[in-house]
Amino acid sequence: MIRISGLSVSYGAVRALRDVSLDVPTGQITAVIGANGAGKTTLLRAISSLVRPAGGSIDFDGTELVGMRTEEVARHGIGHVPEGRGVIEEFTVLENLRLGALHGRGKLAAGLETQFELFPALASRRKQHAGTLSGGERQMLAMARALIGEPSVLLLDEPSLGLAPIVTRDVMMTIRALCVDRGLTVVLVEQNAMSALQVADRAVVLHLGVVAADDRAEVVRADENLRHYYLGTAS
Amino acid sequence: MDAFLTSRNVSDILHGLVNGVVFGLVGLGLVLIWRATRVLNFALGAMATGGAYLGLGLLSYQVPFWWCFLLAIPAGMLLGGLTERFLVRPLYGKPEINPIVAMVGLLILIEAVVGSIWGTRQRSVLPPFSYVDFHLGANVVQLSPLAVFQVTAAVVLALAIGALFRFTNLGLQLRASAVAPEVSRLLGVRVSRMLTLGWMLACGVAAVAAVIVSSGFISGLTPSGMEGPFAAGFIAAAVGGLESPTGALVGGVSLGILESFVTDYWNPNLVLPVSLLVLVVVLMVRPHGLFTRQVVRRV
Amino acid sequence: MSTTEPRASHEAASLAGPPRRRGAVREIARRVASAVVQGRRRHPVLSRLLVTVLAVCVALVVTGLVSGVTDLDLATGAAMSIVILGLSFLTGFSGQVSLGNGAFFGVGCYVFAIFANHNNTSIGEDLLVCTAAGALAGLIVGLPATRLRGPYLAGMTIAVAIAFGSLIDQFSTWTNGDQGLNVQSPVTPPAWLANFIGAPISSLRATYMWRADITVVVAGIAFFLMANLFQSRRGRSMRLMRENEVAAELVGVSLPAARVTAFVVAAACAGLGGGLTTLVDTTVFGSLFSLSLSIQILTLLVIGGIGTLSGSLIGGLLYAYSITWIAELVSGIGLNSTSNLSSEMNNIIFGALLVITVLVAPLGIAGTLRFAISRRLAGRRSQN
Ligand SMILES: Nc1ncnc2c1ncn2[C@@H]1O[C@H](COP(=O)(O)OP(=O)(O)OP(=O)(O)O)[C@@H](O)[C@H]1O
Ligand SMILES: [Mg+2]
Repeated sequence: MIRISGLSVSYGAVRALRDVSLDVPTGQITAVIGANGAGKTTLLRAISSLVRPAGGSIDFDGTELVGMRTEEVARHGIGHVPEGRGVIEEFTVLENLRLGALHGRGKLAAGLETQFELFPALASRRKQHAGTLSGGERQMLAMARALIGEPSVLLLDEPSLGLAPIVTRDVMMTIRALCVDRGLTVVLVEQNAMSALQVADRAVVLHLGVVAADDRAEVVRADENLRHYYLGTAS
Repeated sequence: MDAFLTSRNVSDILHGLVNGVVFGLVGLGLVLIWRATRVLNFALGAMATGGAYLGLGLLSYQVPFWWCFLLAIPAGMLLGGLTERFLVRPLYGKPEINPIVAMVGLLILIEAVVGSIWGTRQRSVLPPFSYVDFHLGANVVQLSPLAVFQVTAAVVLALAIGALFRFTNLGLQLRASAVAPEVSRLLGVRVSRMLTLGWMLACGVAAVAAVIVSSGFISGLTPSGMEGPFAAGFIAAAVGGLESPTGALVGGVSLGILESFVTDYWNPNLVLPVSLLVLVVVLMVRPHGLFTRQVVRRV
Repeated sequence: MSTTEPRASHEAASLAGPPRRRGAVREIARRVASAVVQGRRRHPVLSRLLVTVLAVCVALVVTGLVSGVTDLDLATGAAMSIVILGLSFLTGFSGQVSLGNGAFFGVGCYVFAIFANHNNTSIGEDLLVCTAAGALAGLIVGLPATRLRGPYLAGMTIAVAIAFGSLIDQFSTWTNGDQGLNVQSPVTPPAWLANFIGAPISSLRATYMWRADITVVVAGIAFFLMANLFQSRRGRSMRLMRENEVAAELVGVSLPAARVTAFVVAAACAGLGGGLTTLVDTTVFGSLFSLSLSIQILTLLVIGGIGTLSGSLIGGLLYAYSITWIAELVSGIGLNSTSNLSSEMNNIIFGALLVITVLVAPLGIAGTLRFAISRRLAGRRSQN
């Protein structure tokens, strides 16, 4: 379980997160939704120590993550698929996956087999440079690369970005399956609130850096009043 | 065949090879550092000199050549590691001019320190190879066992570096840290350690280049002796586009051969000006060098 | 207040701060200071001219008071400060780094020596010729700068600095290679000067003082021109280039033209400084123009403060006196003056200073002071 309490992050004068507290339960999908600029990406970057919070704490099964280096956070079993996917374009698919497995827990060969099973499109492209992959294939590669290290937590930043609706549904189903089959803990940041809320167990609504709601996903989905926050129609 | 091997042009080419591999190694060092940290290491030549002196300085105590050769490499690596850790790291993210100035300061500092310890007199060491050129009948082939050793050492080193980067997990992490530091961190790669290691490797490579220079028959090493090879190595690397290790090596060897021709057919004083001209012309036509695939404007 | 505001106005403004005890003297001082500030606002060129004339006059009086050796040191410093000023413009305004200004300086030195020896021309003509030669060299090196960026450009200029040595050898019929050139007394002091200090015309005292006076006046002219360039609309918009090229293009700076211009100006300054240095030293040696000279120029610039007039002056004086100071240091700590360490002391100190300045105070002396002053001013203003 990740327990975030009193987390604040500022970029210069911009206060991206203000006193954010929330729990990410183990083995469940927690969706984080909100309008553009709500601070969703910042939240994930704070968990991965890519930004240094101005205050607050992030406790991961008894380990304090604030102040830890990014690479150590990753080695503690927290996988992070960044916004815009972040596949290494200069590398081949195989090299991307090798890199992902390097500091993970599993073995490379077994991991490759699992991932190619999960994402068959990658198997036939293993020698191809990641820069030549399609958007959806890159998303698969980024997820496969994070999963091959067998993390216990997966932070996903807008996995549906730029994907066709059908592909988005596939991705969401895959995430759901991972969660159910392997007990993976997922933090799912999404613009596409409806599809995220369909697969998530819990949902956190961020609004201008503040938690506007934190409840079971169906409750958030049913709450008409919350909708304007994450649909971005609020003033 | 014999007439061919001893002809003037082939002689020039063979003659240019030794210089060429030195330029290529220096260029390779520059590329490794540039790719990893976006710093053009103006002190690379001086650091190589420092490493070589640390190793070869021992020769005056009658330590065998091979020991000194092997010592120069870790000495250069040590210098590289310390520099990255304490001088370059505080400057990441600062204006582009700051690391340039810092490296230039380090350049004269190292040359001066080396000069104050060992003096500015030329030091040459005789390696256990003959510098007498091979003969074919009555004619001379411009190639000695020493030159063969020098070129072989450089080629072996370049291949080893290439293999390291291509085939090992360490190389994978080194490359990843250079092109995508943030993503690498997210995957658990200790990026700052990789950057230090990149500097160490590059300076080790350059130290070998300095040892090759100092083991030449006529040309020994002086504290400022790597300035010329540095300039040529930079030109080689820049012609290749500063991004491509292969480009730096190929560029270095070509430049060495070109210089040999200029010296033979024209005038030794014009070697560097001609190389400069080549650089300028190449960069005017292709601002990102000959070996860079995509043109990315860094903002 | 923008940092492009001239330093003197900061000081004037700090004088003009809120009077706490309204003594009569203070009040007058305040009025004068605010008049100066007002004057600078309304007639910037005129006030700059006044400041320059005043500074030159003071320097001229000083050259009359000090010894001949000090005169030479002063002249060396003034000449070098012009060289540094040129690089300051290049780096501070167009954001380009040149490690080849030692070569432009060398062009100035040689052209001055050769031209003065072969023609019976006035010192003014000699200096114009070496300035023009420097500018031409700058044009040649600067043209590729329209295409080359940061490290590529710096690397190219370092290669220029290294190649310059072999060019001197190549043209040894003109440059006389390692033997060097002598200049047959380029100027003779006028009679009134000799009378004024009470020494014969041919005395070293009068000769040195006259050379120093010429150098000081020329430096004054160069600083005045450059100050106007620094503050001109064009100069200010070029300064943008260093921060943001796209923004500079938007305000109408043509980047390639600005880059080449900056090189030409810097090299002309270096050529002029080289000519003056030869006037003072009357000898030119090829071994002076090593890479470390170019680096030393950059060092002096960085230590003094990039993009400022005062920083260049500080750098020039540092150059002139560093040799004496370092010699004193060497004997002070009891080093054998012929040892390796003492002959390398100069480069050790400058190298270390350069590295330390970049790490600790990248704005240099002038920039750091200016920053501190403007911070105090801002503090005071917010108190009111
Ligand atoms: N590096 C940065 N520097 C300055 N401000 C930043 C930076 N990164 C984010 N911000 C600001 O912080 C706020 C939160 O940004 P964040 O990227 O976390 O939003 P988001 O919820 O992920 O938005 P989106 O859905 O558009 O991705 C925004 O106002 C943004 O402008
Ligand atoms: Mg986002």
